Amino acid sequence: MKYSIIFLVDELDPGLPPFIRTLREVLTWQKESYEIILVANGAGRETQMQIEGLLAEHEGLKAFELSCKAPQATALRAGFEESRGEIIMVCGSHQQISRESLVELMRSMDDSTDVVNSWRAERTDSSFNQLQSRVYNGLVRAVSRSDMHDLSSAIKLFRRQVLEEVEIYGNLYRFLPVLAAQKGFRVKEVRCTHHQWRGKTGLVGPAEYIERIVDIFTLYFITRFARKPLRFFSLFGLVFSLTGLAVTGTVFLQKLFLGYGIGERPVFLLGMFLLVLGVQVASTGLLGEIVAFTHGRRKPQYNVEKTI
Amino acid sequence: MECPYLSIVVPLYNEEESVEELVSRIREVGRSFRFPYEIILVDDGSTDGTWDAIQRLKPGNPELRGIKLRSNCGQTPAMVAGFDHAKGEIIVTLDGDLQNDPADIPILLDKMKEGFDIVSGWRVNRKDHSSRVLPSKVANAIISRTTGVHLHDYGCSLKAYRAECITSLKAYGEMHRFFPALGSMTGARITEVAVNHHPRKHGASKYGFDRIFKVFCDIFTINLISKFSSNPLKGFALSSLPFFMAALFFAVLSFAAVAWHWTQGKALFFMVSSALSVTAAVHLVVLGLLAELVVNVSDLSHTQLMKITKKSIEGEPRCRVK
Repeated sequence: MKYSIIFLVDELDPGLPPFIRTLREVLTWQKESYEIILVANGAGRETQMQIEGLLAEHEGLKAFELSCKAPQATALRAGFEESRGEIIMVCGSHQQISRESLVELMRSMDDSTDVVNSWRAERTDSSFNQLQSRVYNGLVRAVSRSDMHDLSSAIKLFRRQVLEEVEIYGNLYRFLPVLAAQKGFRVKEVRCTHHQWRGKTGLVGPAEYIERIVDIFTLYFITRFARKPLRFFSLFGLVFSLTGLAVTGTVFLQKLFLGYGIGERPVFLLGMFLLVLGVQVASTGLLGEIVAFTHGRRKPQYNVEKTI
Repeated sequence: MECPYLSIVVPLYNEEESVEELVSRIREVGRSFRFPYEIILVDDGSTDGTWDAIQRLKPGNPELRGIKLRSNCGQTPAMVAGFDHAKGEIIVTLDGDLQNDPADIPILLDKMKEGFDIVSGWRVNRKDHSSRVLPSKVANAIISRTTGVHLHDYGCSLKAYRAECITSLKAYGEMHRFFPALGSMTGARITEVAVNHHPRKHGASKYGFDRIFKVFCDIFTINLISKFSSNPLKGFALSSLPFFMAALFFAVLSFAAVAWHWTQGKALFFMVSSALSVTAAVHLVVLGLLAELVVNVSDLSHTQLMKITKKSIEGEPRCRVK
């Protein structure tokens, strides 16, 4: 089977039925074998009815429902386990692209490509939306040293092997193309035109922004320091400790040679505090090393492309 | 293919120009071997024609095997990839840049026959720029002092291992220089022999200056791992002792300050210092407990490590050509 198309459905999306129709037309026209898998992830009653309608309308459609609202990575895993295609196309909610773009995306998945990420180059949503998206993607680019422009676009194509090798969990789902690129898979970005954005727009709640920032920090830490945590922690620990040492040392010398009383110097306490903080951060890094040593060896640090 | 006795593992990163000469020199040495061997070239995500060069060499060299990694994973993971594919009873690692001399391999093997599990090369006349030699000397001295494995040159890639010792060395990061120390954790017998070293012919050195910080982090890690990975609480508790003592010291002083009516500032100062020291000490102990928990739930118990270094006593290699 050539294509497995996995839809991660987490809320009601009126664009879904027409998109599936377009998709089926394109695939039938290309004469490729395919399967469509719907994963309902914490969706409401209305969405379920929509999916039931789709099942009645299209033959051979598979649908699954997760018992509770799961992270995207889990939903994808659930769908992936059921899939058999060589190429997995993952579609999120509310991001329908035009038929031309769909064809273009599929054509881009050639032999020298492992991942295709759609890039909504001409966006039709509000300029504020575009701005925050641009800032977000810029941050991710800086942190991951990749050149992805649109990680929030929910249509992505993966060669089966990519999803087998790149292990993700939780919110790392959005960084899949970046993580795949870091593992050495060949990632391509394809400019797409998309239909009207119907999902969340504008200013979202503060929790969402915090979550996004935390995600980026996770990406940074996981990709660079997962196997050598001490380097991260000891750097910060050293900065704190050395500052603390400088402060306390200065105060101490001033007492010795200039006769200033230490008891009257609050800054000495600041120095002590920084010393302690440094020790705490660095020792946490040691714990990190123990975790990496005892558990890291099960995952190989290399990925083999081919052998002769 | 018959089961090779020796596997030569060479990680390569952008060594297009060296590959051919490397293989021909290894083969030259290989002619003197009285046993089958294999050469495992690991292309560590090179961006030049390294893989093409390996593929070109493959047809005429049945003992050659190539492994292409998808991305640049680093020297240690590349070596580990080679180890995982190696079939030999003895594994020799080499640098891909021709600075190690394959002609030294028999010397390592001879040493091994004396009953050692790991034989490390020692670049007696090192042909590198002094900016690399000096930090390396300092690092070697520290590693030697702290790990209890006394070698002159840990950074030398030319090393020979008994294959069963390798399995315990699933090292991570940039730890290849610590393979002997990790090996000694498992009771392997380790020694070194003097080997040749040549200046670089092709390409640029792939080491930067920030390596010093990294190597020192690694030294710290390796000590922690080798001494305390089976009882981490001990390490953490030991390091918390000075803080407990400082806390006690400041506590006594603060009582004295109250008892003898020193200035209020002094009393406050001593009390807060004491509290901060206690904070650090307790944090360390608690981390130690957490570390103990982590080791406890992992499947790597110390006994497992010890099992790995069981050595066959027969001495003679089992898989040798009659």
